[in-house]
Amino acid sequence: MKKHTFRKHKLEGTDKMENAIVMKNVCKDFKILNRHEGLKGSIRDLFSRDYKTISAVKDVSLEIARGEIIGYLGPNGAGKSTTIKMMTGVLEPTSGEIMVNGLVPYKERTKNSERIGVVFGQRSQLWWSLPLIESFRLLRDIYMVPKKDYEEMLELYRSLVDIEPILHKPVRQMSLGQRTLSDILAAFLHNPAIVFLDEPTIGLDVSMKAKIRSLIQGLNAEKNTTVILTTHDMGDVDALCKRIVIIDEGKKIYDNDIEHLKSYFGSYRTLRIRHADDTWEERVIDETKEDVMDVIMKKQKEQKIKDIQLQEISTEEVIKKIYENSAASKESAAVSDVAEKKEEATV
Amino acid sequence: MSDTTMTKPKARRGFGFYVRIYRKILVQDLKSKMSYRADFVISTIGMIMTNLSGFVTFLILFKNFPSINGWDYYHMLFLYGFSLIALTPVQCFFDNNWNLRFQVQSGDFIKYCFRPINVFFYFMSEVFDVKGLGQLAFGIGTLVYAWVHIGIPVTPLVIAKLVLFLLTASLFMIAIMNAAAATCFWIVGSGYVMVIMFRFKDFAKYPSNIFHGVFRILFTFVIPIAFVAYYPSLAILESENVPVLTWCAPALGVLFFYLSYKFWMLGVSKYDFTGS
Ligand SMILES: Nc1ncnc2c1ncn2[C@@H]1O[C@H](COP(=O)(O)OP(=O)(O)OP(=O)(O)O)[C@@H](O)[C@H]1O
Ligand SMILES: [Mg+2]
Repeated sequence: MKKHTFRKHKLEGTDKMENAIVMKNVCKDFKILNRHEGLKGSIRDLFSRDYKTISAVKDVSLEIARGEIIGYLGPNGAGKSTTIKMMTGVLEPTSGEIMVNGLVPYKERTKNSERIGVVFGQRSQLWWSLPLIESFRLLRDIYMVPKKDYEEMLELYRSLVDIEPILHKPVRQMSLGQRTLSDILAAFLHNPAIVFLDEPTIGLDVSMKAKIRSLIQGLNAEKNTTVILTTHDMGDVDALCKRIVIIDEGKKIYDNDIEHLKSYFGSYRTLRIRHADDTWEERVIDETKEDVMDVIMKKQKEQKIKDIQLQEISTEEVIKKIYENSAASKESAAVSDVAEKKEEATV
Repeated sequence: MSDTTMTKPKARRGFGFYVRIYRKILVQDLKSKMSYRADFVISTIGMIMTNLSGFVTFLILFKNFPSINGWDYYHMLFLYGFSLIALTPVQCFFDNNWNLRFQVQSGDFIKYCFRPINVFFYFMSEVFDVKGLGQLAFGIGTLVYAWVHIGIPVTPLVIAKLVLFLLTASLFMIAIMNAAAATCFWIVGSGYVMVIMFRFKDFAKYPSNIFHGVFRILFTFVIPIAFVAYYPSLAILESENVPVLTWCAPALGVLFFYLSYKFWMLGVSKYDFTGS
């Protein structure tokens, strides 16, 4: 307890070891060359200045404490993977600062990679033709994991998930689910301080998803590993994340507890109605605008209702609302932009 | 908080470390290749046929020109064998260069950048091409045959020179292919570059004095094909009048290799990791 308060009072510069990750005003632009066809075209491209710039990440600041599991969310193309690539040191930020485990990842990529693990869903990093156990042994040597720690980690794996069926299988013969599972296990093998999981449950069936969620939870609890998780599956978020960060078009638009987010939409309810033919109808209702009883009454006049359920708004709905709001605010900004332009023109 | 999060001082990853890792990957890889027996047999046969057809072409050519620029049959055979051996390391250990552009374009290349080891090493270690070994056997056979007929004395010094200059020669070819492969970090149609460079290796088995003017300079200093067999082999074939370029070859080989490695790594640092 004492330690905790002490930590809070530390100066900004000195807390770099306390936080797993600190990002300050990080931006990432991609310069895209307008490419030309063929050999001649590619030679022309070498000297071409015909660029357009894409801002993938815009002014993102973030602090992530040790042992947290963070849901890093956002619609397609929001800049999640780009952020992870910067945190892992493979991309250099265009501006701003990043500290990962007290290191500047881009400048000390090799040193940084000793203490992180990375999984990019559907893109295996294991040796394709080797049985999983041989991949593990190679990783043990590459990361110079002491034998005892390695054995302990394997024991932990065995206690969390049934690894025997995949341990002696070459990766190329594995199903997508088995491969993802293997990749996650491989990412935790050297007991890194931080593990980045970019869409680890993409394309997996319900039971494999559940298995992977409980594995991540177990490893996080046992090893206090910080986990940065990007996903489009709110089931992952519900199962794993207390805190979520949402970005849209490269800008951070939300950063707080998930409960806080739900209370933000506290007046929203999901109303589920079962009709006579046993089909369920679902509707999100804002209680400040509509009365739930009114809605039910109106429905009842139209047709027979067999059953009613009233639920707190789901994470899925909340996130959808946030994306929609963000898109709507952009649209209205665009509209007012146009309006302004018009005014200018008439003046 | 747990002390596992503290940085532990770790042993350095030196030369020995990399040799050990490479050996382990190699052993595992060979084991798994053997388990696909049909594949293994077919690729071995294919390799023998390729070498055989190259050899036959060479013989036919020689029936028509019994001597090229003062080089007789056995000297030409020597050069041919020498070039086959010198081309083995690039084939065996650096064959993954051929996959580079696909991995770079698809974004799969990113995986090589997440490990605390040298990216170039990690990338190359992934593929060991067994086909190169047949080429090696073929090359050794040809070289020994020519050697005996020319009547070069076998002394420890000559053997040491042979090994040194074979290594030198292979460094040049590795450098050429590294540089050619690395162009994919900048240009999209880089497949051409690799294929053209790989074709150039066929010139290695001819004495470079058959080239004149611009080509002589091009194949000596720009795309150093003349160093893949011609200049290094003169260290063995000539007893006097060894050209200066031959003596410079080992140092130049190391330099070219180093430059190609730097160029390759520069490509990695400039690459923006497409794909999500
Ligand atoms: N290497 C690159 N070169 C050019 N543009 C890129 C590159 N990588 C990403 N982008 C662009 O940057 C933006 C953010 O991409 P990013 O992959 O980070 O999104 P994401 O949030 O991971 O999306 P998704 O959920 O679809 O994976 C997109 O507009 C994308 O087109
Ligand atoms: Mg992504």
